[in-house]
Amino acid sequence: MRRGSILRMVTIGVVAGVVTALVAVLVPWLPTSASEEMDRIEAVFWFTTVISIVIFALVTAVLVYMVVKFRASPDDESDGPPIHGHTGLEIAWTAFPAAIVTAIAIVSAVALSRNGDAGTNPVRVRVVAQQFAWKFEYPGAGVTSGRLVLPVGRSTELELGSVDVIHSFWVPEFGQKSDAVPGIKTRLVITPTRLGTFPVICTELCGLGHATMRTEVQVVQQKEFDAWLAEQKAGAGAGGALFVAQGCGACHALAAAGTDAQVGPSLDGVAKAAATAGLPVAEFVRESILEPDKVIAAGYSKGVMPGTFAGLPKDQLEALVAFVVGGKGS
Amino acid sequence: MTTDTGHVTHEGPAPARGLRRVTAPGFLRAAWMAPLFFGIGLGLVVFFRRLAGWDPVFDWTIIVAVGALTTAPFGFLGGIGVFDYWLRYVSGAPTRPEDHSSHGARRWQDYFRVNTDHKVIGVQYLVTTFAFFIIGGLLAMFFRAELARPGLQYMDSQTYNGLVSAHAVLMIFLFIIPAFAGLANFVVPLMLGAPDMAFPRLNALSFWLLPIAGIMFISSFLAPGGAFAAGWTGYPSLASGAPLGQTIFNLGVQWAGASSILTALNFLVTIITMRAPGMTFWRMPLLVWANFTTSLLVVIATPFIAGSQFFVLFDRVLHTNFFNPSEGGYVLGYQHIFWFYSHPAVYIMMLPGFGIVSEVIAVFSRKPIFGYRLMALSLMGILVLGFSVWAHHMFVAGMAPWLRVPMMVSTLLIAVPTGIKIFSWLATMWEGRLHFNTPMLFALGFISMFVLGGLSGIYLGSVPIDIHASDTYFIVAHIHYVLFGGSVLTIFAGIYYWFPKMTGRMYNERLGKVHFWLTFVSFNLTFFPMHWLGLRGMPRRVSDYADRFGDLNLVITISSFALGASTVVFFYNIITSWARGPIAVSNPWRSMTLEWQVSSPPPIFNFDEIPQVVGGPYEYGVPGARHAVMSGGAAGALQETHP
Repeated sequence: MRRGSILRMVTIGVVAGVVTALVAVLVPWLPTSASEEMDRIEAVFWFTTVISIVIFALVTAVLVYMVVKFRASPDDESDGPPIHGHTGLEIAWTAFPAAIVTAIAIVSAVALSRNGDAGTNPVRVRVVAQQFAWKFEYPGAGVTSGRLVLPVGRSTELELGSVDVIHSFWVPEFGQKSDAVPGIKTRLVITPTRLGTFPVICTELCGLGHATMRTEVQVVQQKEFDAWLAEQKAGAGAGGALFVAQGCGACHALAAAGTDAQVGPSLDGVAKAAATAGLPVAEFVRESILEPDKVIAAGYSKGVMPGTFAGLPKDQLEALVAFVVGGKGS
Repeated sequence: MTTDTGHVTHEGPAPARGLRRVTAPGFLRAAWMAPLFFGIGLGLVVFFRRLAGWDPVFDWTIIVAVGALTTAPFGFLGGIGVFDYWLRYVSGAPTRPEDHSSHGARRWQDYFRVNTDHKVIGVQYLVTTFAFFIIGGLLAMFFRAELARPGLQYMDSQTYNGLVSAHAVLMIFLFIIPAFAGLANFVVPLMLGAPDMAFPRLNALSFWLLPIAGIMFISSFLAPGGAFAAGWTGYPSLASGAPLGQTIFNLGVQWAGASSILTALNFLVTIITMRAPGMTFWRMPLLVWANFTTSLLVVIATPFIAGSQFFVLFDRVLHTNFFNPSEGGYVLGYQHIFWFYSHPAVYIMMLPGFGIVSEVIAVFSRKPIFGYRLMALSLMGILVLGFSVWAHHMFVAGMAPWLRVPMMVSTLLIAVPTGIKIFSWLATMWEGRLHFNTPMLFALGFISMFVLGGLSGIYLGSVPIDIHASDTYFIVAHIHYVLFGGSVLTIFAGIYYWFPKMTGRMYNERLGKVHFWLTFVSFNLTFFPMHWLGLRGMPRRVSDYADRFGDLNLVITISSFALGASTVVFFYNIITSWARGPIAVSNPWRSMTLEWQVSSPPPIFNFDEIPQVVGGPYEYGVPGARHAVMSGGAAGALQETHP
């Protein structure tokens, strides 16, 4: 192999490497990190990306060089040199990839172990997933909420469970994800580093409303966090708080609760629906909570709303019914 | 040339006339036997429910599972005639082991009946699987249309989830896996110097099981409650409580799986026992090695998906509680069993493609395979490692945390044998005489796309990155780089490469190249942006998504339509060339392997005399080297042979 060929191949490789490196750097591939865990994931991501760019550039260089250099004319019936192998080369391209992936494995294992460490004094939150809503319980404070609020700069340990099928909790800006599985508890550590509001997304296909199983996480200062907890605790048990805590607002629009979701029928028109069904409004709302499939609004399907709300304690059910009925604007 | 060696019957079955047509094996008999067996299944259910006093006696969820999905297919198989010989044998009727009456194709009608010729079965497989490829592709274009804009436009969530699930299931179980089985069916016995597969009647049965599974999957769209919609992975608890369509999935997988297992057993016995004299394991073409390894994977792994679907079926129909947590069931148990098959299944869908690419690159580079033995051993390495990585699909599933790091290490180590293959292909091309015919273009397209798919696999193998990227569009991008950029491109390479051998005609080279470039460009435009979507926050399997992803999804949808359109060029080329392409010589690519040393298409019994193998299959450029000797001349010595 002459020096000229090596030079040409290196040139192609460098061009390919620079182009892919530009694609890697100029395109924002990851969401802006909002947690210590995402920072570590980013570090592993870039470590792997640098290696990938080198490998990709190498393969491209050799491939493009050969396609140009060794192209035979269609009527060329000669054969190439009968090279059957080269033990040294074969050992090299067995050993080098093994070394590279070992390095990636070590970096990943270190990041993984640190990403699972919640420290000594984490905020503890129980996450209860159900079709198609999230519920967050703060056992220390006795608060339940339909949205997640976390203090900045402090580790949170989530304990996830599901009451029906498998769901998966993901906040892209936090980088952390875990399935919520019926029958077992899973855990996840998040240490927010940035104030703001981020989406909570269900990433495991969980049924007809899967695409709409969203809520928000708000990262606030510790002081605001404490105030929020106290405020929630004071309002707990009231219909409005239940409406949020039970996740009703994830699917239903209700002006009084400030929700505008469109998975299920809007509750602002519940009086009209009750009249169509020929029932008093309160009775209609109660029946729809206990047996969601009994009356289905036009344009919606059976089986989307879970029947699990039938398990609500009687007083909570009545508070919720009163809130929905009152919230219709009458 | 004659195929009559004097002591066997070579004539096809005489066409039955009059009333006998109703009882002769064929579609007419299948048309009444399938309903009859459905009736038997229905009768069994009703009888036992009556006996046990269960209400209702006519429970259609059970009747469908037993009558429509279990007994009726047996009626169809019996009607079409796959069991005739065996039934005659067990009932003591006279049979002759060397009865070849159903072997070979002399008329086009012979492709539409039970045929024991591996070449006919290979073509039957390929035509059937490409029909399902079209259907699976159309399903994808339907849901891509829905995804062109955020919000729901054309369909409800049930339809969307059903389309996504059925697209994956058809492409995996009815296209990629059986298309490779079809190619191997045609080529492997020829490459070994064998007259047919070891068990030709079993081979026919394997093929006819396949359309049963495909028709079930498609017909599930007509089921009350819609098609199976829990994804191709069918996880409980969602699958446990899903409507009737899920039962169709549970049982459809059994028919496709049985087809796979029987074919794999057949390949194993064929490769072990039917090699021509002198064809040692280390003289076998890498395509044969690849199918040997694949068949081992199929035989070991496929029973696990069968088991996983039976467990779900029992939970649904028999009220067992394997995956019901409230009765002590373990939800993650399903995922462990399912992925113990479905990860090796990725290699079932990849290794035959490796074999095809090895054949194509050696022939179109005019050079021996670089490091032939290491190439064969790396297949074995992938086989062994492939069984130790299943739980990397479950890094976020809540499984035992200690299992993550060992599974990550074994997953990343698979990069070593796959890397060996990539580097060896490149070294094979080095200083070769490269001819860029369509098969070679697809092989090179495969290498570049598979490198990208392999690299994104490294990201997903790393647990911290996987935790972020799992269940997002990054996974969708990765799987399509591996299964389309990998498997499907190699299937196209194989189809173009062996098209002259299968049909006796040449395809149109210019259209082949147009097909390649259209596919290559539109494939990348469709799937590369998905990496970004996933990492930025778009989960997979959603009918609706955040508005900020709208524009890129529109680009993807348009590209996916272009990708769909590119296959029109392929089908046009294949159909017109098959009908009236130029006649192919026996060895248009000047290849050394045995399938090219016989006429195109090959004689009904492949070889007029059994070849004597005397050397390796890729001795290009070695003066005087031969792969095999036949009395008609030195096979594989590269002389131009005309039909």
